[in-house]
Order: sequence, then C-alpha cells, then structure tokens
Amino acid sequence: MLDRIKQILNNNNINGYKIYENKIEANELFFIKKNVDMDRAKNVHHFKVTVYVDYEDKGDKFKGSASIKIHPTMGDEEIKKAIDEAAFAAKFVKNPYYPLVKPSSHYKKEGVSDFSKKNLPYWMNEITKAIYKNDTEEKGGINSCEIFLNKIDSHIVTSEGIDVQAVSFEGMIEFITTWKEDSEEIELYRCINCSDFNPEELSQEVTDMITIAKEKAVAKNTPVMDQCTVLLTREAVIDFFHFYYTRSNAATVYSGSSTWKIGDQIQGESVKGDYITMTIDPFMKNSINSGSFDEDGFPLETVKIIEEGVLKRYIADTRYAYYLNVEPTGSIKNMIISGGSHTVNELKKGTYLETAAFSDFTVDMITGDFYGEIRLAWYFDGKNTIPVTGGSISGNIAELQQELYLSKELQKDNFFEGPKVVKLLNVTVAGIQ
Amino acid sequence: MKVVKSEFLSNNKPLIRSLIRMLSESYQYVSVLGTDTKGKSYRVTKTGIEVNDSLLVERGFVVRIHNGVNYSEYSFNEIDETKLNSIVENIKLKLNKVDKEISVNSYEVVEEDEINHSFYGEVGINPEDISSEVILKDLIEIKDAALTCSELVVNFQVTFNTFHISKLYMSNKKDLEQSYLLGEGYLLSIARRDEKTKYFFKTYSGLRGYELISDLKRDYKEIVDQSVKLLDAKAVQPGEYDVICAPDITGLIAHEAFGHGVEMDMFVKGRAKGAEYIGKQVASSLTTMHDGAAAAKHMSSYLFDDEGTIGTDTIVIQNGILKNGLSDLLSALKLGTTPTGNGKRHSFERKAYARMTNTFFEAGKDKLEDMLASIKKGYLLEGLYSGMEDPKNWGIQCIALLGREIIDGKLTGNLISPVVMTGFVPDLLESISMVSGTVELGGAGYCGKGYKELVKTSNGGPYIKAKVRLG
Repeated sequence: MLDRIKQILNNNNINGYKIYENKIEANELFFIKKNVDMDRAKNVHHFKVTVYVDYEDKGDKFKGSASIKIHPTMGDEEIKKAIDEAAFAAKFVKNPYYPLVKPSSHYKKEGVSDFSKKNLPYWMNEITKAIYKNDTEEKGGINSCEIFLNKIDSHIVTSEGIDVQAVSFEGMIEFITTWKEDSEEIELYRCINCSDFNPEELSQEVTDMITIAKEKAVAKNTPVMDQCTVLLTREAVIDFFHFYYTRSNAATVYSGSSTWKIGDQIQGESVKGDYITMTIDPFMKNSINSGSFDEDGFPLETVKIIEEGVLKRYIADTRYAYYLNVEPTGSIKNMIISGGSHTVNELKKGTYLETAAFSDFTVDMITGDFYGEIRLAWYFDGKNTIPVTGGSISGNIAELQQELYLSKELQKDNFFEGPKVVKLLNVTVAGIQ
Repeated sequence: MKVVKSEFLSNNKPLIRSLIRMLSESYQYVSVLGTDTKGKSYRVTKTGIEVNDSLLVERGFVVRIHNGVNYSEYSFNEIDETKLNSIVENIKLKLNKVDKEISVNSYEVVEEDEINHSFYGEVGINPEDISSEVILKDLIEIKDAALTCSELVVNFQVTFNTFHISKLYMSNKKDLEQSYLLGEGYLLSIARRDEKTKYFFKTYSGLRGYELISDLKRDYKEIVDQSVKLLDAKAVQPGEYDVICAPDITGLIAHEAFGHGVEMDMFVKGRAKGAEYIGKQVASSLTTMHDGAAAAKHMSSYLFDDEGTIGTDTIVIQNGILKNGLSDLLSALKLGTTPTGNGKRHSFERKAYARMTNTFFEAGKDKLEDMLASIKKGYLLEGLYSGMEDPKNWGIQCIALLGREIIDGKLTGNLISPVVMTGFVPDLLESISMVSGTVELGGAGYCGKGYKELVKTSNGGPYIKAKVRLG
C-alpha cells in the first residue's frame, strides 16, 4: 500500500510529500464495578498524506500544502483522485515558504516499554489486577473502569528521503470512584495515560481517588469569600503550566496569540515568588508523547525553554522556526517544570483553599483566564481544615504570576513532571451562600 | 439536492453478508456497522491557511458478536474476499481473553425485527461540487474584510468544515443504509489592547452545504465588534443573579444539566441521579425538553444509530417532570426498556455509548423584551464556551463568553467576561420563570463523554430566565 501511494505521489506534479503511516493493534476492556461488561479489539491501518506545492507570486516564495487520509481499501484510482484534489487545493494555500525536514543520522534510541515484552491480552489482565488491587473498601470504590491498550507502529516517509519507524504503546485507564456516607453517594473521575507498566503507580492512584471520594462525601459547601489563596494540586497543575507551554510555542507566537519574545521576563519585571523553569524532554519515561522524532521526522533532543522566568527558546517545528528565524526544537510534547523554593507544608500558611478535583479545570490559552467548579477542596480557615465542594475559582494567570510559589516536591503524570503544588494569591472564589 | 450514498459501502455489502454468515456459525448474534465518511476542513487566518480532511473522515467496520455471555466487538479497516477468514480468526483469537478469575456481566441475545431501509439526506449547495479554489477565495475575502474593521484585531479566523457521513448496518435481520451531509463554520476574532487580549467567536452548523458561507459573510463585522468591546469587560462579582440565557446557553444547560444525566448507560452503572427521579418534578413546569435523531433536523438527525436502532423523538422532561432517558441498545437490554436510537460511536474504532442527538428545550410564550424588563439587576448570557456534566451529583459547570449587564430592565452596554455558571441542576431548572417563543439549535464542535468519545450533537432552546450562581 505504501509503495502504491509513493508511486502515485511521484507521478504527480507536486514539490514534496509526507506520508504518516500507522498500524494500531488494540485491546479494550469495559468494567462495571469489578465485572467485565464488554471487551473489544481492533486492528486498523491508517495513512495520512500531506502534499506540498511551491510557487512564487510577485517575487515572494510560497509553500502550499493539503493533508488527506488514505484508507487501505482505496483503489489506485481513488487514491490518485484524492491526491490530485489535495495537490490542486495546495496551489491556493498561500503560506510563506519553508523548507521540509531533511534526513538525519542523529535519532537517539528510546527506552523499551515493558508492554513490548508480552502480548496485549496479557497486559490487559495485569493492568486490571493493578487497578483493582486496592479497591477493597466497603463504602466506596471503583464504580466503573475502561482500559485501553494500543500498540502503534508508526512510519514516516517523505520526499526528502526521511524514512523512520517506531513502535510505541499507549495505555489509557479511565475510572470513576464513588463513596457513600449517610447522605447520597458521590463520584469522581480520573483518567491515567501511560506508555509503560507501573503497577504500584496504578494501584496508588486508585487509592488516592478513593480517599478523595471519601472526603468529598463529607464535604460542606465552599464558603463565601471573594478572594483567597489557592493551592492547586494534581491535574490542575498540569493544565496551569500548559499555558506556559502554549505561549512558548512558535506557532502561537507567529499567529499573534502569544506576544512572548526570546529574552522576555515572562512573569513580569517584579517577581516576588518563584521563577518558572521549563524543559521539554522527548524521552520522558512512561509518557505517551515520547519518541525520538516528531511527525515531520525531525530528530528530537531535550531543550530548556524557560529558565528562571526568562524565555530562552521557542518550542518550534521546522516550519515555524523558519518563519521566526530561530533554531527548531521539533514538536516535543513532554514538559518538565522545576520545583520551587518551599515544601508543601511551608506553602500551607495562613488561610487557603487547597483544590483536589474540579468538574473541569479550564485554562484559556489566549487570555490566560482560568476557572473550574470545585468538586473537592480543603479549606483551612486558620484553625481547622475542612473538605468543601461546590462553587468555583477563577483568575487570570498573567495577573497572578508575579507572585506564585511552587513546591519542592514533584509529581509525574504521563507527559508532565513538575511541582505537586502551585500556590496562587488573591484568586476569586465564588462560594455558596 | 439528494446526498449520494457511499459506493464503497454498497459495493462491499455482499462481503459483509458473507462475513456475517461465517460468524453466525459460531455466534448467536452478529452485526456489522460500516462507515465511510468524507469531508474537508478549510481554515484561513491572518497568518496561515490549512486544508485537511475533516476530523470525522474514516472508512472501516466494527463487528459485534454475542460471545455466549455478553458482547464483544472487533474493529478493522481492511477487507476483501481473501481477508474474511483472517477477520474471523482474529475475532476468535483476540476477543474474550480475560483471566478466568475476573468475573463478567451477562447479557441476553438481542432480538431484532426484520428491517430493510435507507435514508439519503438533502443539501442546498453540495460543497463537494465547489472547488477548493472558490472556497479558499471566499474565506480569504471574509478574513481580509474582518481585519480592516478594527486596528485592535490581531488575528481573525474563518473555518468551514464539511462532513459527508455514510453508514451501513447489517445483521441477519437488518439491512440499513444512510448518507447525509453536515456543514459547520466558525468566525473567531482576537483583539488586543496593550497587554489585554480578548476574543469572541460564533459558530454556524446544520444539515447545510455551502449555502452556510452566506452567514459567515453576513456576520464577520459583528464578531470583530464584539471582540473589541470585550477588551472593556469587567470580571463578575461572584454571587447569585437573575439571568437570561441566550439559546446557545439554554442549549448548553439542556445538554450538560440533563442530557448527560439521562444517558441510560449511566443508569446501568448506577452513575445517574436521574434514574431515581423518573416521574418526579425536576424543573419548573415551564420546562419541556426533547432529545432525538427524529426530534429536529440538525447535526444529529439520522435514520439509524450506530447499533442499527431507528432514531426517535424522546421527551426527556415534560412540564417539569422527568419522563424518559436516552438509551443505547445494550443499556436498554439490561434495563428492560426500549432503545431510543441514541447508541453512537466516536468512530468505527470505538465502543457505542448512550449519547445525545438533538437536545433542546421547547419554546414558551414570553417575549424577550418582557424578560429583560423583568430583571432589576442581572445579565444576559451569550456565547457557548464549554460545559461539564455531573450526572451523579447534578452539579453543573457552564462557561459563557460574555454577560451583558441588565439594570432596571435595560441592557446598559456593560459586559462581564469570563462568566462561569455553577450550581445544582434542579435548583437551576426549577428557577426557570420565563421562556421565549422561538427555539434555535446549534451544533458546531463536539460532545465528549468525560474527556473522550467525541460525537456530533446539536443543542438549543429559547431564551430562558433563571437564577444562577456566577463566578
């Protein structure tokens, strides 16, 4: 199939192409309580083809492109028609010229996932055992769970001579924990993504979510207070730092959504709290985003992006690096944020609201606004700590980042490694009367 | 103009019939869903142009079998006569491999009625007949015109997406085919003054073809103006307010508050509070809510769902009383109810779940000007940004792009943004005190189950007056 596509592309009047082929073999299990409710498997084969057309207009150079999906059941005529249409569309895509990625001999070796050592059904059973190991409480536990494990063979072939392949694994475990005290039962949601098997981490995460559910079951309404110190924890920390990742991206800068320039003090001139340091690492362990090359076939290496609050490099694929005249990093989606100057205990001073779970913690990457309905937080009023629920928090990262504090202790979750706690001052809290 | 069917699916029907026959030798129930979705996505901004296949483009099959205890599924996208044996082997080899100590739920075998039916939708201007040159030229003209409207606009995005959806469902008793076309457009304006950045967007969608472009040409200036005005918006003082929800926010409430809450696979899992409230008052008596592929002609209007069940019109809430849930086939089998045609898949590669289709509140009798006049201090909420369901505990989180201040029954011109609306679903729905006379539906974007399983839905309703907590 790949050779057929290449042959048709080579006979077309285009200036370049990229073929992204992947074969996915997967097993899926769907549980209600501890019982398997359905099982699924899949075996699929996909091709995504991008065609490039170079042209000049009034002395300026342009590179048009268009992408299409090619299905393995397409005949030659159907493939040719799809490619011809893409090549025709690309002529009217008036994007400034950029060079395509050239072949490299610098692809680093990735670590080997445990998932490669046995077949998928074996690992499905092992994941199931790890997830249900600590589901032993009477008043609550796992209500339902979905386990997905994909083995992905990726292959990139380009007109420039790139021909790289990799095998990766993507695990996803989505589960709901419930707890019931004297009042009604409550539930919480959690999704874990992984590329390697770490049974202790899976079991511990279930324990943590059961504990959080237990606390939510006895939580009171979030009290009314206009503003409060907020300690973000768990997934909200990752969403919070995604703002910095997005703002550092060359594509966002080029589009005007981000105004950050290399050398900028991105937290402002008068920072009172901790400075942010961010590194992107394509080889992070147990991340579904890890790999030695990106979707263009560009060889990846670890790069420091923000150091002590100063933007050092843009996260840039070849196209946007060329547009901004900077060195490309390739597209790397793993983020490391360095720890801060205080321990978690030291950050817990004065009145504060420590968040554990939101309905959906949302960060607007364009405006920096963030908001979330509180499903569980702990409110410390100076004397007592009580679990609270309901109401919401909101604020703007650009306005609050001059004084934020990061914990020394770190957390690791799929593509993220960074502080366990981010402390923000003067966050708006809409409590319940 | 009639939407054309998928030749690929029609041509492969004999092979699918053979596959069903082969599998039926081992399994009591066998069905196959085939999909062949085409479509393009055109996106034009100040800084670049993109042309891609649209997100739903796919071609493949999913087999469902009753394995003797419950149901198993196998998704694949390579088929010809030589591959039928290997598909059957894979189904036997890859499915039902859980350890013996893990227990399984049992399901009865689906009883199907004989049915042979097809549906081909209508479209105004088929976008497949318009060249990419013409489409890009139109979108670029809109973008260029928008950029001249204000110096404060730093970028303007125009998007046009098409989806030509074709599906085939076959079992020993069913033979169903359908093809229909959806269109959607987006206008997004980003404005900046000094360090403050704000944006506003509007979406357009429906069983529409290229005629949708006229809406984009009509509205770009309004989108720019709104984004610029948002630069002067203030944050809301947290608290409870009387509000009027525009139809898009009414739809968001319908979707998040009760749509997700009555998806009946949640009843099976014991995750839906709604299960205890069937036949009980859950909303103001002014409130009647529908869902169904046959309830409206919009983004989720089809003949049959992804499990071969014919679409219906379900009354979810009638005059404030919770009446019915929305079910996929297997949940209905488990619960002993009639499936409502709400079994939908993200793609042929994913499981079917109970999902919403076209979800909306019915119209009332109030006039918008009377609704505004009835509010001493409050806000008119507009612009759907996002929402999140909580079927178990009936919490709600809805985010609107803006709120227009109402003082003494009049709009002052002042804006608040962003607007986070939270609360307890029955409190919110019971507070509905006025309902306007015209229903509007919208369905650009995607609905998720949790954070995955994206499907097309439409949501809407009239303007409603309610009391909500804003933060």
